[in-house]
Amino acid sequence: MKKAVFWIGLIALLFALVSTVSAGGDQEVTGEKGAKEVVTLKFTYWGSPNEKTAVVDAMKGFENTYDWIRVEAQHIAGDYDTKMATMIAGGTEPDIAYLNIGQAFPWAAENKLYNIYDLIATDPEMSKSDFLDSIWYNWAPGKSFGTNSAVESMALFYNVDMFEEAGVPLPPTKAEDAWTWDEFVNITRQLTIDQNGNNALSPNFDSENIKQFGFQFSTWYAHYMTMVYSNGGDYISEDGTRFALTRPEAIDAIQKLADLINVYHVSPSPVQAKNIPGGAAGLQTKKVAMKQDGQWCLLDLGASGLNFGVGVLPKLKKSVTLVLGAPTVIFSSTDHPEEAWLFYKYLANPQSVLNLMAGGLWMPLLKNWYTEPELVGKWAEENPAHPEGYRDAIMRQTMKNGVPGVEYYVMNWGELNNLVNPALAPVWLGKKTARQALEEIEEKANTLVIGRYGL
Amino acid sequence: MNGNSRSLEKTVLYLFLAAISIFCLLPFYWLLRSSLMGLVQIFEMPPMWFPAPVKFTNYSEALTILPFGRYFLNTVFIVVFTITGTILSSSVSAYSFARLKWPHRDLVFGILLSSMMLPYAVTLIPTYLGWSFLGAIDTYYPLIIPAWFGGGAFNIFLLRQFYLTIPGELDEAALIDGAGFFTIYSKIIMPLTRPALIVVGLFTFLNCWNDFLGPLVYLNSEIKYTLAIGLESFKGLYNAQWHLLMAASTVVVFPAIIIFFIGQKYFIEGIAMTGLKG
Amino acid sequence: MRNLLTLTGSGKRHLKSLARTKKQEALIGVLFASPAIFGFLLFIFIPMIASLGMSFTDYALVNKMRFIGLENYVKLLNGTDPFFYKALGVTTYYVLLSTPLCLIFAFFMAVLLNNESIRGKAIFRTIFYLPTLIPVVASSMIWLWLFNPDLGLINTILRVLHLPPGMWIYDEKTVIPSIVLMSLWTSGGTMIIFLAGLQGIPKQLYESVELDGGKSVHKLFYITIPLMTPTIFFNLVIGFIYGFQVFTQAYIMTEGGPNNASLFYTFYLYRTAFKFSKMANACAIGWILFIIIALLTLLIFKTSKEWVHTEGGR
Repeated sequence: MKKAVFWIGLIALLFALVSTVSAGGDQEVTGEKGAKEVVTLKFTYWGSPNEKTAVVDAMKGFENTYDWIRVEAQHIAGDYDTKMATMIAGGTEPDIAYLNIGQAFPWAAENKLYNIYDLIATDPEMSKSDFLDSIWYNWAPGKSFGTNSAVESMALFYNVDMFEEAGVPLPPTKAEDAWTWDEFVNITRQLTIDQNGNNALSPNFDSENIKQFGFQFSTWYAHYMTMVYSNGGDYISEDGTRFALTRPEAIDAIQKLADLINVYHVSPSPVQAKNIPGGAAGLQTKKVAMKQDGQWCLLDLGASGLNFGVGVLPKLKKSVTLVLGAPTVIFSSTDHPEEAWLFYKYLANPQSVLNLMAGGLWMPLLKNWYTEPELVGKWAEENPAHPEGYRDAIMRQTMKNGVPGVEYYVMNWGELNNLVNPALAPVWLGKKTARQALEEIEEKANTLVIGRYGL
Repeated sequence: MNGNSRSLEKTVLYLFLAAISIFCLLPFYWLLRSSLMGLVQIFEMPPMWFPAPVKFTNYSEALTILPFGRYFLNTVFIVVFTITGTILSSSVSAYSFARLKWPHRDLVFGILLSSMMLPYAVTLIPTYLGWSFLGAIDTYYPLIIPAWFGGGAFNIFLLRQFYLTIPGELDEAALIDGAGFFTIYSKIIMPLTRPALIVVGLFTFLNCWNDFLGPLVYLNSEIKYTLAIGLESFKGLYNAQWHLLMAASTVVVFPAIIIFFIGQKYFIEGIAMTGLKG
Repeated sequence: MRNLLTLTGSGKRHLKSLARTKKQEALIGVLFASPAIFGFLLFIFIPMIASLGMSFTDYALVNKMRFIGLENYVKLLNGTDPFFYKALGVTTYYVLLSTPLCLIFAFFMAVLLNNESIRGKAIFRTIFYLPTLIPVVASSMIWLWLFNPDLGLINTILRVLHLPPGMWIYDEKTVIPSIVLMSLWTSGGTMIIFLAGLQGIPKQLYESVELDGGKSVHKLFYITIPLMTPTIFFNLVIGFIYGFQVFTQAYIMTEGGPNNASLFYTFYLYRTAFKFSKMANACAIGWILFIIIALLTLLIFKTSKEWVHTEGGR
């Protein structure tokens, strides 16, 4: 019996190792198929039902344009990462896909993803400079697995009525007019009101019973990193060897945000924030007057019927916005790189997914959709999701002052974030200063800093 | 006096049961409530106890966004085959592990049990590779076939524990009467442990009905998707349509409740039929 | 059925003549267990061994595997990985708290609902089981609302009762007890297993206690609990095994927070495997848990001979 178990185990081990090794090994890239023969592309993506509808429409349009290509699309709901992990391990990955960066970077490093620069270099219709500069994911110099599926960036959203009630000026929409931190704090204090109707500047202000907060931000990295960049700071050093959130510019920016909660009482703490509904509803129910959020919340705001406005975020040293998103990639195992590239380009064309742009969820990838009035008019004008001021506060701000978020260049970012975010929790609750909290983890963080992509 | 304290005891008992019932039912009410509200209303603070206006359209919207009818049939297909397989194979195996003596039996059982101790995340990839090697990706085989081979250590273990409580004299007497082991299993053990089998069936149903990971990993064609996957589709990367998710969840929970009511009825009948009652 | 019961007396006398069937019994036994054994080997054992093998490599889904010996294990155990001991500690705390509480609560409810004199017990059983029917995506959303410190239902009730409100899943100290509360809410499954077990206890036994003048307490301690030990044993073992693998609450509700206070072991493993593609690391993490659970289960099994009552097991 024991012997049998041993042998079965050994055979099983061999079988399993062989199969994983062979699945993990490099796969031949073959291309050059005859153009007339029908080619089927496999494409996987995520998204809410309205995103799905738009993507399915785009696919149909693509199949009509290129009648020899069929797209077999799979919408993956829920746990996308796990599905992709099993697919790539089993060698059944699609030709083209949305991918999270936690998987995209390591897979690109093992040459599992196409270098989009190679494809674009040989393409007569398109060049790298057609795309926004801040949305390329470079895993090594001259190597990129692509751009975002859609552009997203951070901005300030507010309820116009609440500003009028408080009698304070509306947030500026142009970068050059951006509020300084002190101006911002001052305005925010006037917009914060306790249950007796006193604002946060009043000596009778009751910080224990706040009815309306002036400004809401979340503890998600994209929020505090926007301020860190604005202050000239960074997550890691320029050479990618040291953890940089312990530098004065970063500590200062994070501390300033924390002070909004614990010193000025104008922003909800992470716990208080649980009482404030997400999307448009926080502004709509007058729980908060302004909030920092991603531009995707325009979808919700546009549909809510609220009298809302958009502005640029306050600046510390310079006015910036953080750009984020997730990439679309082409797997190097594809048998049809040319067709996959055609589809990639088609998806990158804002015209194909115009509903998502006009609805407020996405922003275009291509520069001319930000600059040419005719193209801008197709998505950013005359619809409820894009109020007056949008073109300055978000569209131009993203193009001119957009900084790629940490996900674009910090190696091992996911693990660093798992260390940093919990460490910042006591800072938001006012139990530690930003300096204390970040210096405590500096040593551990430095061991997790392993470099900067694209260097 | 005695009667009075008895009725006081009873009152306290029923109050206690009522309190726990509320504790259990309230979240369910919340699900139903949210399923009839607009997205903004769900987040209204203080929370609203009753939806106003009642949005029945959530249901029609949720059910038309995705092909729920198709997903329902797919799920039922998987569930029926999985339950049948699980009940048959786990009870046969459990009978052997509980009541038949063979060399190294308890060691084998221990090893079998160990399969529950390794988190799924660790074996997911190798298992996927195995099914991929067999060409079974994008089929229901990986979801159904394991049920016919033991139906999982949990069920075998559960049934084994029940079989252990049946007096051993029963089998011995039957053996003397010339009955075979299969007869003992099918004529004595199975009927005697009907409640346990129903529990196994119920758990298998629920696991299978709500299983998200299995269909996610093994199915590629959207036409083969199940209800659990359909539910997840209401959550996007940047936003979730909670009102539709709640409506769809209510629809998905409904059959589970029906099944449970039926199962509940058989618990009682099952006992009556075993003849051990009086 | 009744016929068989009456046969038991004569059955004992003929025990010796059964010796010849021993060999046959062994054969049939292996045959009956073979689907499970075969299924185990094919669907579980091979992947398990593969994952064990992978834990000694640097496998990350897409690279060429390299054998690196015990490196993954060493990095975890010597504290290089900042989360390993935290996750283990958090999870152990959860298991020690939730397993006994769920077991006692479910047992208590089952005994209560098995009482003949309670009216509408079918309704109550159904109600107590209902929470386990709600899909997790929906129930987690509901619990997030219940736990809301300012406007959540639980704190609202506490304030009405003039009790101090809590921070629930938003405080490092109370997050685990809160999740335990949530698992009590879904202990209907355990209750059902107990109920099924209770219904297998022959009524005659209770009647004989009554004849001897015994009270309900006697029935509980002399009949119910001893006869229920196999079921209690089952639920205890399962409670341990599944408790250590608690995942969904961290995945959907807390993401391991606040400040890693609910960084459950399996969530940490999952994160390593699928968010960072560090499959080999994840395998090592999983196998350390396997060893821990296996040793604990073995311990419970070893002691079970002292306290688990069996009738027909051989």
